[in-house]
Amino acid sequence: MNWLMKQIRKEEWSPYAAGILLGIVGILTVVLAHALLSESGAIENLAAYIGKAISPSNIYFNYVMPAQITFPVVLLVGVFFGGMLGALSSGTFKFRTMDSEQWKKAFGKQTWKRWLLLFVGGIIVEFAAGIAGGCTSGLAISGGMLLAPAAFLFIAGMFASGIITALIIYGKKF
Amino acid sequence: MTYVIAIVLGVAFGFSLNKAGLTKYHKVVNQFRLTDMAVLKFMMTALVVTMLGLYPLRALGIITFPAVPATYIVGNLAGGLLFGVGMALTGT
Repeated sequence: MNWLMKQIRKEEWSPYAAGILLGIVGILTVVLAHALLSESGAIENLAAYIGKAISPSNIYFNYVMPAQITFPVVLLVGVFFGGMLGALSSGTFKFRTMDSEQWKKAFGKQTWKRWLLLFVGGIIVEFAAGIAGGCTSGLAISGGMLLAPAAFLFIAGMFASGIITALIIYGKKF
Repeated sequence: MTYVIAIVLGVAFGFSLNKAGLTKYHKVVNQFRLTDMAVLKFMMTALVVTMLGLYPLRALGIITFPAVPATYIVGNLAGGLLFGVGMALTGT
């Protein structure tokens, strides 16, 4: 029991151990809720509340991603608290400005730069998830486990462009 | 009831992401720099474990699969290509 608690309190697990936990979550999602672990859709559902206020007849926000509290929205709330619980369990919980040692070394100390890139990158990520029909969790993992061709196309694209982008922004430091 | 399940599953999901270190900028970006393979190990382990659980259960007739994400080659690929750019920029 002590051993188990010690393992749980570790700040970082082996990716295989964490992957097994996520795998079990994936199984339970299908068995208990007959749903998939989609996340980006939740943000679109929430965005639809604003989108419909601006343009009430918008087809996307009325039919594709309607403004309602769907399964992914609740899941997203859980993810927030789950991440918090993870940080609390290892005693690394703190409020931070999304800083990172590696980022500072590569791009400088300014926080606003990091935030600007986060904002722009966030728009790109969510827009791309909208085009592809899912994000890393909802399409790559959930689709992959059901052997959907879409998931493997998405993973291939994601890694191809991710590696190229990292190569460009890191340059010689790659 | 579905909401309770969703909250519990969400907490476990977030917990696993935190423990895998995927909440950290350097973990995600270093995957694309090919200096840290944790993201890929994490994703593929999850995939294999889920498959090992789901396919036998379906074969036994205990569960049916939910709707599989739609495949539209150009969209999936273009979305993936754009997604990778955003992911490498933000590290999230």
